[in-house]
Amino acid sequence: MDQIPVTVLTGYLGAGKTTLLNRILTEQHGKKYAVVVNEFGEIGIDNDLVVNADEEVFEMNNGCICCTVRGDLIRILGGLMKRQGSFDGILIETTGLADPAPVAQTFFVDEDVRRRTWLDSIVTVVDARHVIQRLGDSHEALEQIAFADVILLNKTDLVSADELAQVERRIRSINATAIIHRTQRCEVDLATVLGRRAFDLERILAIEPNFLSEDDHEHDDAVKSVCLRTDRPLDGTRLMGWMQRLLAERGQDLLRTKGILSIAGQDKQFVVQAVHMLMEGNFTKPWGPNENRESRLVFIGRNIDGTELRQQFDACIA
Amino acid sequence: MSFSAEQGTTSLLDRIGTRRMLHAYVAGVAFLEGGVLAAALGDGRVAFIGSENANAPRLVSVHDGACLSLAVDLGGERVLTGGDDGRLVSTDTAGEITAISAIDGRWVEPIAVSIVSGLRAAGFGKTVCLFARDGSAVGTFDHPNTVGGLAFDPKGRRLATAHYGGASLWWAKAGGQQPKRLAWSGSHLSLTWSPDGKYIVTAMQENELHGWRVADGADMRMSGYPGKVKSMSWLPKGRYLATSGAEPVVCWPFHGKGGPMGKAPLDLGWGVDGVVTVVAAHPRHDVVAAGYEDGATILVQIDRAHPVLVKQPGEGAVTALAWSADGQHLALGTESGFIGRVRLSDWRAPT
Repeated sequence: MDQIPVTVLTGYLGAGKTTLLNRILTEQHGKKYAVVVNEFGEIGIDNDLVVNADEEVFEMNNGCICCTVRGDLIRILGGLMKRQGSFDGILIETTGLADPAPVAQTFFVDEDVRRRTWLDSIVTVVDARHVIQRLGDSHEALEQIAFADVILLNKTDLVSADELAQVERRIRSINATAIIHRTQRCEVDLATVLGRRAFDLERILAIEPNFLSEDDHEHDDAVKSVCLRTDRPLDGTRLMGWMQRLLAERGQDLLRTKGILSIAGQDKQFVVQAVHMLMEGNFTKPWGPNENRESRLVFIGRNIDGTELRQQFDACIA
Repeated sequence: MSFSAEQGTTSLLDRIGTRRMLHAYVAGVAFLEGGVLAAALGDGRVAFIGSENANAPRLVSVHDGACLSLAVDLGGERVLTGGDDGRLVSTDTAGEITAISAIDGRWVEPIAVSIVSGLRAAGFGKTVCLFARDGSAVGTFDHPNTVGGLAFDPKGRRLATAHYGGASLWWAKAGGQQPKRLAWSGSHLSLTWSPDGKYIVTAMQENELHGWRVADGADMRMSGYPGKVKSMSWLPKGRYLATSGAEPVVCWPFHGKGGPMGKAPLDLGWGVDGVVTVVAAHPRHDVVAAGYEDGATILVQIDRAHPVLVKQPGEGAVTALAWSADGQHLALGTESGFIGRVRLSDWRAPT
């Protein structure tokens, strides 16, 4: 059976999530989607295949304290696979108040979901006008930005250029790796949102080298990004030992971890990603003959100390 | 007789079977009275396949979406199907459809029929409904979470449901009752009740089984699976519970005192590569049919080392297996829509 791409749409209430969803469904792109909407869906969705989800978050009994999955999604994705061939992709809309972690973790934990689907990207729609306020009063709004692969900074017509720049800086400080699109009414080239294989990371980690300048401490969000890089190869054993320890001890605070790493003695890129404590790493494609073998590792999390992580990372250099 | 997958041994399907390709996920198969084979498909149709290969199957559009489950309905001449269109439907071999119930926006996945008490039960998300022979709803049971599996006890007087956090035991009659809760943390996906009524076993998200002794609620853990257990089937008299989810067919002993507690399971069917996806125990003999993720299907006998090949690999994972009530016919279905049927009346188990 072919694997089906899944796109998760998150965003606080009123940010424009349903607008984006309907835009995806009505635009002429020749693709058919199965849509999973939450039970509190804001307005009607015009699509052949709409499934109502009730966001049942289950704790996994696997000794991992922060490991939760969406039990309803496991069931729904399994059921949708019985309709093979009748759609090209799956869109999952979460409620505005949803924490994205259980959704992302579902794609790590459940073997059937992994075999039949892949998480193409988490797309978060952000209301440019209200997001600063939301970040102040909503834990979920922060998590949704932290988990995003793609962010639609929407309703840009309702703020000034200065305000927009400020909002974007704030989002960047939380999530250094997401691709940000400025939009009005979610008008965006859908090719930049769908079919991105964002979880494959190749593109995501092509971050501007100085994305977080040292003087950028004007905000004090609980969640921020730390980006580590080095041109020197890493010791694979030491690196994995460190990362496993780190995720075991700090997994609750580390929302997402993504990296493309150059391991000493290996010709292939080592790609690693994690959601909280759940980590997976694989050697993927070979480094190009003229490619700069730069290792890049990004942590997005709470209460994380960039200096400490940098020291620990440097200790893994071969 | 023995085989290994590489040797290309002739399968029973090649020798004494018939085959169809229906090009839609096979959610379930079952034999009806008169030898007609029914298959529920992922495109919403139910196929009725006669025993004569020459006749084309009768295809009936039953659900607006996918069929999620299938059971032989009361009387043995109709099939009961649940669909992702929220409908519970009974269909006869002539294609006549009787809608029993429908709840918009819900999926009807777990269903069960008790021939003894003449009751049918179906899960509509978090609500389980009970229907009498005439189709009238006689009970509604609400749960805090979606019900993944349900089963009647052998007498059809009680109904057990599996959900997040454990199982619930209900009396199979009108609502207004509090269930007996059997708690065990984790998500319980499907459920079976032993033929002697003594045990309830659920398959869990965590790649293990959990059992309860009904009399006193004693817990039993059956673990060690590399994957989720999606299929469970009781051997005659409930002596063993055969399960999918591992490379061998794992059979837990339930005869003797204490059920499987403190005992190792039997592992059958070694020598066949791949993970078992479906099992179906023979109704009379200690024989299990097992389907694999690569499409291979075998028969294995308790206490015998070598399996018999029913079907070569191919056509996608096996998703459904069923015996006829007399144990003379075996049917299988796969995720790509392959249906195979073998008549075993002249076949003897290997000695």
